[in-house]
Amino acid sequence: MTYVIGANCVDVKDLTCVTECPVDCIFEGDRMLYIHPEQCVDCGACEPVCPVEAIYHVDDLPADWLWHLDAAAEATAGREEVEPVPDPPTVLALPARPANG
Amino acid sequence: MSESRLLTIAGSAADPPLSARDFRSDQEVRWCPGCGDYAILAAVQGFLPELGLRRENIVFVSGIGCSSRFPYYLDTYGMHSIHGRAPAIATGLAVSRPDLSVWVVTGDGDALSIGGNHLIHALRRNVNLKILLFNNRIYGLTKGQYSPTSETGKITKSTPAGSLDHPFNPVSLALGAEAGFVARTIDSDRKHLTSVLRAAAAHEGTALVEIYQNCNIFNDGAFEQLKTPGVRDDFVLRLEHGAPMRYGPDGARTVVRDPGGGLRPGGPDDVAVTHDAQTSDPVPAFALSRLPEAGGPTPIGVFRSVRRPAYDRLVVEQGERALAERGPGSVADLLGGDAWTVPEPQPRVGGGPA
Repeated sequence: MTYVIGANCVDVKDLTCVTECPVDCIFEGDRMLYIHPEQCVDCGACEPVCPVEAIYHVDDLPADWLWHLDAAAEATAGREEVEPVPDPPTVLALPARPANG
Repeated sequence: MSESRLLTIAGSAADPPLSARDFRSDQEVRWCPGCGDYAILAAVQGFLPELGLRRENIVFVSGIGCSSRFPYYLDTYGMHSIHGRAPAIATGLAVSRPDLSVWVVTGDGDALSIGGNHLIHALRRNVNLKILLFNNRIYGLTKGQYSPTSETGKITKSTPAGSLDHPFNPVSLALGAEAGFVARTIDSDRKHLTSVLRAAAAHEGTALVEIYQNCNIFNDGAFEQLKTPGVRDDFVLRLEHGAPMRYGPDGARTVVRDPGGGLRPGGPDDVAVTHDAQTSDPVPAFALSRLPEAGGPTPIGVFRSVRRPAYDRLVVEQGERALAERGPGSVADLLGGDAWTVPEPQPRVGGGPA
């Protein structure tokens, strides 16, 4: 099980969740953040601190955000320590968030 | 007892391998968001498949406290038992069912305050138990009073001017109680935690594992120095049996013998003491447990791993020996005629006081 960060994070990256995570499993891409699905311990610390409500438990993830679980798995695959990661093509393809959006 | 033995279901090589998912129960996990217990739960669920045992042959017994909710969340047998008494209940189970893998989950309040006696006697007996002591240095479930491991001067709701108590060091305490296996690890270091669980599980006898666990609500950051990248290397000594005790960035710092008999931090050019977890003398492990008091780093890993006969095995062997020497015997013979029969109570007449 894991928490998943969805599209609301794209071009926002508030980063509060990163400081909140007790096991340091949130990785930063250029456009959004990714929770390592194998490292997440389901503690839920990240979800309430997200200012744009981008974080859901995988069981509660809106249907149109389900693909973000795959994107997170792809972005964090084989990584152990937190480090910058490249965004997967699915995320790169998202339209840019409007400047005041 | 004979009935429970009949119910024993042994693991089999033909069993399909289990995964962490198999050890998750259907219960909603209820700790505060961000609690260190989640990380420990995930590590334990990830480790249990390594035991190669069927889930019904594994038992987790807990006492009272936040950590003691653990058995609900594991799809094994479990018991959320009495405050401080988990080691006693687990002792009975391990002795009567030596075929089971028996684990105790407890906290610093449960194990070291109300349960202090049960803990030390389980350790001296060397019952085949694996005791996971979650130490967050606070009473979390009752909302933030100082615990037996809170540092002196701790300001809490119950000690507004600072606690006056000197804290227990659980590793020192366990070594004083003759524990054969004593280790320490940290909730958020999954690799290290898993390696310590592996070593504890392989040890026959009581294994005490102290797990530094963050209570992010009532004692947040208690172990931050030991966790923060870039800082932790100066404060943590990672124990490895047979390796020189060095710490700091690139292992530049050393642990050396103190003329007084203990250990202390040394200079970079000093010869570091080699860690021997298997020596029968508990003194080196005890000295290691006091290293932070001498201005040194906090050791994590296996302090002591020494085999001695396990209590449950001794009990079974003693029973078998007695059976072989004296035969099955009978209860009547055992009582030797010194017994009497309690008569059926007579019905009372009238409504007066008894």
